[in-house]
Amino acid sequence: MNFDFTEAEQAFAEEVRLFLRANPPETFPIDGMDAGYGSGAHSRAFLKALGAQGWLSMCWPKTHGGREQPMFMKLVLMEELAFAGAPFGPLAGCWQTADAIIEFGTERLRREVLPAIARGEATFWQGYSEPDAGSDLLALKTEARRDGDHYVIRGHKIWSSHAGIATHGLVFARTSREARRSRGFSMFVVANGTPGMDIRPIRSLTGEVYHHEVFLDDVRVPTDLVLGPVGEGFQALLNGLDADRFWGRFYKAPALGRVLRQLVDYANMTPVRGAPLARDPLVRRRLAAIAADIAALRLIFYRTGCLIRDGAPLTYETAMAKVYADETGQKLARLGMDLLGVWGPLREGSRWAKLGGQISHLYLTTLGHTIAGGTAEILRTSVAVRGLGLPSEPKPAAEPRAH
Amino acid sequence: MDFRPSPAQQILISTARAFLRQHCPPELVQRLALDERGFDETLWRRMAELGWPGLLIPLELGGSGGSLIDVILLVEEMGRAGLPGPFVTSAVVATSLLLAAGSPAQQKRLLPALAAGERVATLALVEESGSFDLDAVTLECVVPGRLTGRKLLVKDAHVANDLIVAVRVGDDASLILVPADRPGIAHLPLDAISGEKLFEVTFDGVEVRPDDLLGAVGDGHKLLAGALQAGAMARAAEMVGGAQRVLELAVEHAKTRVQGGRPIGGYQAIQHACADLVRDVEASRALLYAAAWKMAEGLPAESDAAQAKAYAGEACLAVARRGHQIFGAISYCEEHPLHLIHKRIQAASVEFGDGQFHLETVARAIGLVSESPLPPSEATISPPAP
Repeated sequence: MNFDFTEAEQAFAEEVRLFLRANPPETFPIDGMDAGYGSGAHSRAFLKALGAQGWLSMCWPKTHGGREQPMFMKLVLMEELAFAGAPFGPLAGCWQTADAIIEFGTERLRREVLPAIARGEATFWQGYSEPDAGSDLLALKTEARRDGDHYVIRGHKIWSSHAGIATHGLVFARTSREARRSRGFSMFVVANGTPGMDIRPIRSLTGEVYHHEVFLDDVRVPTDLVLGPVGEGFQALLNGLDADRFWGRFYKAPALGRVLRQLVDYANMTPVRGAPLARDPLVRRRLAAIAADIAALRLIFYRTGCLIRDGAPLTYETAMAKVYADETGQKLARLGMDLLGVWGPLREGSRWAKLGGQISHLYLTTLGHTIAGGTAEILRTSVAVRGLGLPSEPKPAAEPRAH
Repeated sequence: MDFRPSPAQQILISTARAFLRQHCPPELVQRLALDERGFDETLWRRMAELGWPGLLIPLELGGSGGSLIDVILLVEEMGRAGLPGPFVTSAVVATSLLLAAGSPAQQKRLLPALAAGERVATLALVEESGSFDLDAVTLECVVPGRLTGRKLLVKDAHVANDLIVAVRVGDDASLILVPADRPGIAHLPLDAISGEKLFEVTFDGVEVRPDDLLGAVGDGHKLLAGALQAGAMARAAEMVGGAQRVLELAVEHAKTRVQGGRPIGGYQAIQHACADLVRDVEASRALLYAAAWKMAEGLPAESDAAQAKAYAGEACLAVARRGHQIFGAISYCEEHPLHLIHKRIQAASVEFGDGQFHLETVARAIGLVSESPLPPSEATISPPAP
């Protein structure tokens, strides 16, 4: 057992802290909303600054322009960025797309897209969900028809985060009809602006735009922009979603720790009937209890990180960790609103808003976290079935398919 | 970072699991809980042959020279098996105090015998206030002199050969170490749902000699802090082990109990309850190991230990309670193993500081301002906070 970082990890953390001191995160222009996951807002400029440090590609093989750093360095980087409240929104998605391209991308993807990711110039939206395919992703209707050296994609995607400001979409579509429902899917890397692609913003409950719906009207995509094996995309997608649950939530614990520190300061400095709010025993206990939750959450993620680093098989770990992360975030946001009381509802930028209005923002955005990327219900089922070996619920009889 | 026990620790775990499966089956646990004495000498002697009571004691004093992490891993297995008895109070708490404060003569007299399983020691700390805080100790003692008064919730006093008693010498919190059979000492049983053997220990003009002091006069706070922290970690480990057992039993039940034509584990209501058990057990364990590692490394760990104990108390109790719901009516029966594990988790959650106590430590550690503590004289006369 050892709960410490290695010397190299500590040195890198210090390097990141120095970088953040020299480049204060709040000075970078923001392009897209902070969805509360812990990776801050979407900032192309900040992503490019990370790229200039060589940090986006640091763990890639040397043959792909990387430095073959251990995977734990990515955890160190994300934790430091989240502690500092930096706007690194698209980072995890870029890393995952890069990993997929390195693993099974075409020569063209490696040549054109990978270097753009390394420089922080390429970001990605996920075109998975559809209006009638949410938790039941296999019900999706988007189809990609082969036409010579192109695929022609037709369909309707929704809940694609930051699609309006990203450079590429990862579009999941049916490429053939197979006997098995989970076969015949493929993933496409589609550049934004490709003719036939219509990206429309969806205004969220915060009043800002985060998600988009994307209409694909005979969008032509060259065959060498397929990511992964044609027809076998579903397993790759599941693996990707599994990783997404880890990489897309790893920074939640440090980010929540940052919010907790602000709530502690607020409780210390806010007088209630002549004494600081911090002296209310119930307030003390609730803040202390959630501090323990955040500490446990961080360890759960590092433990999963160790399993990934050591190449151990994962079954339920990321599903469990994601649910815990999202429910802890909701709990902290709820507690924050309680502490702020009548000031809680005031929005960022409003006169008299406390803590910059970010608690009301967190309260709203965290509502979506137990839904996006696998609902808490789907994931608890996954922990029970894949992790504990409980039997699956019987599936309803398949709809008869027209031939 | 590495969350895995070392190869030697993995051997300790598997040895303990195999030993306890054979020598501490659920039937024995049940019998000892219902038995007034509740102590199995044969089992204790066998444990001593494995070097368990001496795990924290150095080799030169007859122990097996282990670390606090070893103890935590072992106690987790004991909690999983529901092993009753004085291990935590004697081999962890009292042993830690003797190691930290015992004079060479006291150490030589007691530690080899404790390691060999020939003696058992316990701690008499709590009084009418019910607090594990040494500031709440009022029992006065003159050294040399006589001791008159009582201690409550003293664990396993009936099998203890030696008592470590927290007292006040003048204004100074101090510890004394006396044989349990010294004239004037008596113990009266309390009756706890957990089956743990708890006592009121009375002192009636008990002689206290200068060499009965454990550590110097006034060292009580410093000494007890470390031992109580180790005790809290051990009780947390017991809870994690118990909760792990509940998880295993509940999952097994969910796979085999058929209702409505399929195992109840095929219904999402039960699946989701089981998924939450996994989270509660694993999160409790992670905090426990991290805190124990810090303590074993000699790093400051007061707040880590406090949050681990508070978290395990809440989460493992939730596991036990949810376990009853998964099992349904059968877990209401005395012969079913769940209720005893549940009661033991509940007992462990309050010993060496309950959730409220430890969360206050965390509250201070995360920077919440607090009032300066009231002077003791004022504290005793002020009404409880509303």
